[in-house]
Amino acid sequence: MKNLNRYGYFFIAPFWLVFLVFSIYPVALTFYYSFTNYTGSGEAQLVGLANYKRLLTDTYFVEAFFNTWKIWGVNFALQMGLALILAMIFSDMRIKLKGIAFFRSIFYLPNLITISSVALLFGILLDWQHGSLNMMLMKLGIISDPINWLNEPTSAQLSVSLILTWMWFGHSFIVVMAGVSGISKDYYEAALIDGANRWQTFSKITIPLLKPILLYIMITSLIGGLQLFDLPMLLTDGIGSPDGSLNTMVLYLYNQAFKYNNYGYAAAVAYGLFVITLIFSAFIFKGMYGKERKQPRQV
Amino acid sequence: MKRKLSIFLVSILLVGLFAGCSSDSKTSGNGKKDVDLRIWSFTDELKKPIKTFEEKNGVKVELTIVPIADYPTKLKPVLESGVGAPDVFTGEIAFLKQWVDAGYWENLSEKPYNADKLSDKYVPYVFDLGKDKDGDVRALSWQTTPGGIYYKRSIAKEVLGTDDPTQVGEMMSSMDKVFDVAEKMKSKGYSMFPDEGAIRWFTQGDNPQPWVNDKNELQLTDEKMEYMDYSKKLRDNQYTALAPEWSPSWFEGMDKPIKVKEGGKEKETQVFSYVLPTWGLHSVLKTNVKESVGDWAVTSGPSPYFWGGTWLGVYNKSDNKELAYKFVKMMTQDDEFLTSWSKETGDVLSYLPVTETIKDDFSDKFLGGQNNYQFFLDQSTKITPGIVTKYDQQLDTLYGNAVQQYVTGKKSKKEAIKEFYQKAQNAYPDIKVPKK
Amino acid sequence: MIGKTAVDNSLSNSVEKKSVIETKPKRKVSIPKLLIYVVLIAMAIICFIPFLMMLVNATRSNEAILSGFTLIPGSAIVENYQTMMSYINIWAGFKNSLIISVLVTLLSGYFSALTAYGFAFYVFKGKNAMFVFMLVMMMVPGQLGLIGFYELCKNLGILDTYIPLIIPAAASPFVVFFLRQYILTTLHPSLIEAARIDGASEFNIFHTIAIPIMMPAIATMSIFTFIGSWNNYIMPLVVLFSPEKFTLPVLMGFLKGSQVAQNLGSMYLGIAISVVPIMVAFLFLSKYIVNSISAGSIKE
Repeated sequence: MKNLNRYGYFFIAPFWLVFLVFSIYPVALTFYYSFTNYTGSGEAQLVGLANYKRLLTDTYFVEAFFNTWKIWGVNFALQMGLALILAMIFSDMRIKLKGIAFFRSIFYLPNLITISSVALLFGILLDWQHGSLNMMLMKLGIISDPINWLNEPTSAQLSVSLILTWMWFGHSFIVVMAGVSGISKDYYEAALIDGANRWQTFSKITIPLLKPILLYIMITSLIGGLQLFDLPMLLTDGIGSPDGSLNTMVLYLYNQAFKYNNYGYAAAVAYGLFVITLIFSAFIFKGMYGKERKQPRQV
Repeated sequence: MKRKLSIFLVSILLVGLFAGCSSDSKTSGNGKKDVDLRIWSFTDELKKPIKTFEEKNGVKVELTIVPIADYPTKLKPVLESGVGAPDVFTGEIAFLKQWVDAGYWENLSEKPYNADKLSDKYVPYVFDLGKDKDGDVRALSWQTTPGGIYYKRSIAKEVLGTDDPTQVGEMMSSMDKVFDVAEKMKSKGYSMFPDEGAIRWFTQGDNPQPWVNDKNELQLTDEKMEYMDYSKKLRDNQYTALAPEWSPSWFEGMDKPIKVKEGGKEKETQVFSYVLPTWGLHSVLKTNVKESVGDWAVTSGPSPYFWGGTWLGVYNKSDNKELAYKFVKMMTQDDEFLTSWSKETGDVLSYLPVTETIKDDFSDKFLGGQNNYQFFLDQSTKITPGIVTKYDQQLDTLYGNAVQQYVTGKKSKKEAIKEFYQKAQNAYPDIKVPKK
Repeated sequence: MIGKTAVDNSLSNSVEKKSVIETKPKRKVSIPKLLIYVVLIAMAIICFIPFLMMLVNATRSNEAILSGFTLIPGSAIVENYQTMMSYINIWAGFKNSLIISVLVTLLSGYFSALTAYGFAFYVFKGKNAMFVFMLVMMMVPGQLGLIGFYELCKNLGILDTYIPLIIPAAASPFVVFFLRQYILTTLHPSLIEAARIDGASEFNIFHTIAIPIMMPAIATMSIFTFIGSWNNYIMPLVVLFSPEKFTLPVLMGFLKGSQVAQNLGSMYLGIAISVVPIMVAFLFLSKYIVNSISAGSIKE
């Protein structure tokens, strides 16, 4: 039986062939550039570790690091909360909700629209003087003066978090539901017979069995979240206003590379970001599979 | 059986894939033969000139438009490698300086172009901007884009007692005078400008200096620092309609009164003036104004300025430089073509032999019959050449940001300037920034 | 059951005063359900409104759009269409996008399933290292790879073809990761053992057992892959040169650089034409997933 394991290589070979050529090569080139003063054109000169030294003392990068975490954290908590609640409701055998296909599609819609349209739309909605949101709040008498949402650091960050939640909760919901659909109905029927309540069913059956899928969502959301970029860029002036609160790590990277032409330094920023992502992903892995390495399986 | 099926499916997939690719490369092969000249730009402005050029010379030209935001991203790798590159490409003022120095454009000062001979024939600052750091001409432009202040005649008459552009311009010939006018406007319920960003073009004052001088030092002139106070004054005294440039309310304010909410009150106000250059008339005002056509005029502000502009040149690795330069020549030196182009579009030309003959009989209905051509030509000669640097766009953004911080009261003037210095240094580690 | 009754009581109490019928025991179950529906529909509206605005704006003239938001359709759709078509051939872009996205989805789905299966059910040297390496590579920000990617395509002579847009889909780490996680929860190794004893070859087992079990997950990922490829802007922009090969998003970029940009109605119409088809495709695929789920449960 054991010699069958060599088939593993055949299964993963095509992937690695393509991956090596199209992903690893460009990324490795970036790594090389991070030791140079490359400006995106012309010749690159090696400068040793200068870019990395600069990175360690760069207050704007630190600022970007915390901003990114704040924006992503709020968004992730909301998005996962919503996705799990929805999954709990739709997988509940007692409620037997109809129209899951419909709701799933509708909730996913915000994700279909390209990010530039999303930014345009919310730019108009959140407009200080003429935005629909302020008009509505003023009519309801909740506020007397219009709030300049995108001009205050806290509200600007919160706005981005909420827009991200709006865009992505449908996506997380679909992924969670795909995982739930892989769980045998027998478990739920047994739980129903045993008289377990909704919360017990959810926390004792659904969550443990979903662990691999939840890990997937957490890791991908972390990677995506730490690479947050286009929304902060498009919502204000592109350099992270107000007061640097929308300056995220990749926005910083992008500006260094494509606006200021410090391509070499931007490459170092990219690897700084990479190391940070790596550390936090390791934490998530550890947190989820700290003691037992085996995944629960369907019997 | 299943295995055969899956192999079959996969092979179909692969065949489809390669068929798709090969059929495409075939069409591209044909396409390349058909086209004599390839031109890249970020607007469709050149569409008509290209048609004229094709008819005149019996050639086929392909125009590729890349949106301005992605233009440098797309162009850079192509120009670096020369694969699939255009023969002629345009550059906008924002990245012009970088590109003339990068050597992507053919040196037009050399034979057979000898563009240096043309220097007298152009508006000085325009010709100057197309030169690289060694003074060689790399790109030329057919237009000049000086700016002015467009205002509403009816409001001027009511508040200032006259709508004559010269007299109104006189009333706004310094920042102090602008504030006098703004106060008068406010007392009658009008807003001087849509927002405080409008005056950023006058920051140079009467002391125009480049952001970074030839000693590689960042220069924040006193005039530029004063601009901070002017902006704050505009905001604090409620002289504007709080409608930021390009926002929906900014457009709306051109034609009708807009609502402003401030200090718990809501008022309706009409905007008196917009600070825009030559192209602002055709592509901004005319396309958005319906009701107040004919009620506008243009005049000069506290100091001359220019905003935008398109240059074009020949790619230095092009296989077809002769034809490419022929096109550049038509766009920038052809009397007949430029005359009709200017009459058709209202574009203000930088090529003096043509402007001399056509400037006198211009009049624009939108501006109540004013000869804006003459006005802008006069403005363009007042612009100081040599103050554009490759840092301008980014430093303007960073400085505008600092001004905003001060205007909204988040930072003191000193703090805002300090932060500007820090950010400028961060963006450009090589330049020397005053230590404060 | 305590939790449930408490919820039911609190919910029914609030309604009690208004209606007598709803306090009847028979109806009691449906009240929270009704509330859930109300909340779900409210959320659906929030998600749908921008989409609706876009569709409505596609039918309105430029001036109308600038003068404010409304959900009442205008009558300028024909003019908008003509303006748009005078600048770009949107249907050619449509065809190009479709070819690319379909091939990308197929490649990504098949090869990711293959790789995920290899990672999940074989023990071989370097497996864990490779898997971790793949995950690690996902974490490098992609923005900077662009110049290297371009150089690569130049050296391979595949610029201005669809190859750099399609082939890389065969290596989609996110999809591999998801499918591996999924198949670990859904496919028990004993099933594979059983098939081996029956004499099935390895690739046969993969095609006849693993693929059907993974199908809902593959379909889910296919939706994301398809949409990602459909909306991909920067890659085709950088790699393609011939206008007749441009994809929809690149053509939309064309519109932004043209006089049409002054005409917001045409812009919205262009965006709508590019979004509506994926919405339809999405609804179709969504149903397909539901079907495959129920099919799976019948089998068990």
